[in-house]
Amino acid sequence: MIFAMLRVMTLSLLRDRGALVLAFVLPAAIFLILASIFAATASDKLQLKVAFGAASSTPSTEAFERALRSDPALHVSPSLANRDDVAARVERGQADVGVFIGGRLEDVDAPPVTVLVEPSKTMAGAILAGRIQALVQTELPDLALLRTASTFESVVGALTPEQFARLSATVEALARQGDGDTTNDRSSGNLIKTISVGSSVGSNASITYYAGAVAIMFLLFSALQSAATLIEERNSGILDRIAVGPAGTDAVVLGKFLFVTIQGLLQVGVIFAVAALVYHLDLTQQIGLWLLTSIAASLGAAGLALAVASASTTRHQAQTISTFVVLICSAIGGSMVPRFMMPQWLQDLGHYTPNTWVIEAYYGTLWRGEGLSDILPEIFCLLAMAAVGTLVALMLARRRLQF
Amino acid sequence: MIESAAALEVRDLRARYGDKNVLKGIDLTVEPGEIFGLLGGNGAGKTTFVRTICGRLRPVAGTIDIAGQSKRQDLSRSIGLVPQEIALYPHLTVYENLEVFGRISGLTRAQTKAAIEEVGHVSNLHERGNDLVETLSGGWKRRANIAAAILHHPALLILDEPMVGVDLDARNSLESFIKRLSTRGMGILLVTHDLQQAESLCDRVGFLHDGVIAPQGAPRALLDAAFGAQSEIILEFGQRLSPVQEKVLHKLGFSSAGGAPNWSRVGEGSIVEVSAVLQHAGLSPREIRLRRPGLDSLLLQLSHPVGWTAGEDAA
Repeated sequence: MIFAMLRVMTLSLLRDRGALVLAFVLPAAIFLILASIFAATASDKLQLKVAFGAASSTPSTEAFERALRSDPALHVSPSLANRDDVAARVERGQADVGVFIGGRLEDVDAPPVTVLVEPSKTMAGAILAGRIQALVQTELPDLALLRTASTFESVVGALTPEQFARLSATVEALARQGDGDTTNDRSSGNLIKTISVGSSVGSNASITYYAGAVAIMFLLFSALQSAATLIEERNSGILDRIAVGPAGTDAVVLGKFLFVTIQGLLQVGVIFAVAALVYHLDLTQQIGLWLLTSIAASLGAAGLALAVASASTTRHQAQTISTFVVLICSAIGGSMVPRFMMPQWLQDLGHYTPNTWVIEAYYGTLWRGEGLSDILPEIFCLLAMAAVGTLVALMLARRRLQF
Repeated sequence: MIESAAALEVRDLRARYGDKNVLKGIDLTVEPGEIFGLLGGNGAGKTTFVRTICGRLRPVAGTIDIAGQSKRQDLSRSIGLVPQEIALYPHLTVYENLEVFGRISGLTRAQTKAAIEEVGHVSNLHERGNDLVETLSGGWKRRANIAAAILHHPALLILDEPMVGVDLDARNSLESFIKRLSTRGMGILLVTHDLQQAESLCDRVGFLHDGVIAPQGAPRALLDAAFGAQSEIILEFGQRLSPVQEKVLHKLGFSSAGGAPNWSRVGEGSIVEVSAVLQHAGLSPREIRLRRPGLDSLLLQLSHPVGWTAGEDAA
């Protein structure tokens, strides 16, 4: 009897393509996406966009810049002369992280290299600082040795002329080689300091990011869940009954669209209210744009959900498609892991997900303090998704009742 | 408001489903206050006919007038459709459902309130009006299912198998309800497989067969025309018969449908005579009954030639 039930379950699974996809394809797809992301962070495939600047041009800063540009894990911008310009690029999201050389690299009294990070991307700052440390050791051994000697001198006193001459000769030889002894663990000393850039309190950047990321993920889930009632109504004959009347199926689809949108708006409101109450996220400065983004996100989710529900034959099918779409979009759109940590091809793919549009719009508005014109592309994408999804749903709902 | 024109008037209606001609020139009139039973086997085209009337399937040719109106928008306001399924929201009460469907059918809030009051009275739903639909018995659900379709006073009410899954008491009660609706001037098109129900409930019936509704008329008149004073002899065997035994029954003019153990024949002859012939042929039915032919006999005659058995269709 046990084996009879085993057979029933096996045959049911094999004949249910949706369940097969959920059981075997989706986990593998999510694994591939997450593996690509985390493998990239530990390899040269990670492409951090770095805003670079230097206060002055010296042989050592030029060598440092060359070393940075030679690192395949870094995509370094053209050199900027002003630290504020570097910070602005980071703040606007044009770069994941910034680096500015403010003094002589040989100085050990104060860190000459400043890494500028957005609080939501502190990981990017840590990764860049690590890459710089490694580059100094491997690509600029002369600089590393000089800094070590300076540190040594500051502790034990000045070197004798003979010692200084031998040190200079070694530094020159290392500089000529252009390649250091990577096994020799010489400390880079007081080289880097990391500072946050942005207009608000540090913790709120992460909160802003994840409030948007979580909001869109659950917005999509609940919208798809609510829209699936369309299938139940079709199967129970309710749509048949309504289709005969003057309102037709359009009233049902549009009524659901309105409900799902309002439900989504309330849901987003709850998430941000919790963020405001618990983490003191300030919505008041940009309440208008926050509301616009929330409405656009809710409309977009409603349109997508109704299109999926109209195209699905059964609720089970709709749930399968929903789970697949939401998890994939969330994984590559930045709801699970920040997109800067992804390889470039995944970042490019993420541009086509509502998750990215919503996260960018919220983040731009609430953290970067962007205006309407800055978030218009994201708003437009969300509204387009709402319009296309609703039109598809209207057409499919009418068409399905003819057969 | 019920019009004085025919509740439904269909002329030379032709429709296709995919590449198949399903309706091949249907003529049908349902008068106000009349209950018309649309009968036919599976796949005969009943659903296609209903969908075409409701405007969900565009006809290839022909005209459809409902209460004298032929425009799509006017048609939709004159039809009430009761699907075979319980087309109600299970988590809403009966009254809440009626309110939703009243508003969706185009009534104002005040009109809906008045309509619910009236329909509640006609259907006796008042006593269960505040109950959730999911908690109702099958009979009450069916009643509410019909009530939701008549709030806007349609000239034509289409009932698609309205009594599936209800017990005898509920069935009698529903039949009374449907008759009450017809006395209020509503034309009713009853689509059903239940021929006994059609015979007892309908003023006229029509058989949809091979794309046309023919014959149509009052059940008694149709049966008289088809069978006259002939009787139907029904043989009930407790088991399936062998091919040889079936062949013998065919030769004696018996047919079988709806399960091989039951065989019937319309014609002359008494039970005693038939019993003797069967005994001579080595056949001993568990029961032999004599009755006046019903609509099921007529449907069997229309659908299949004499001597047909259910097994032949499957083959």
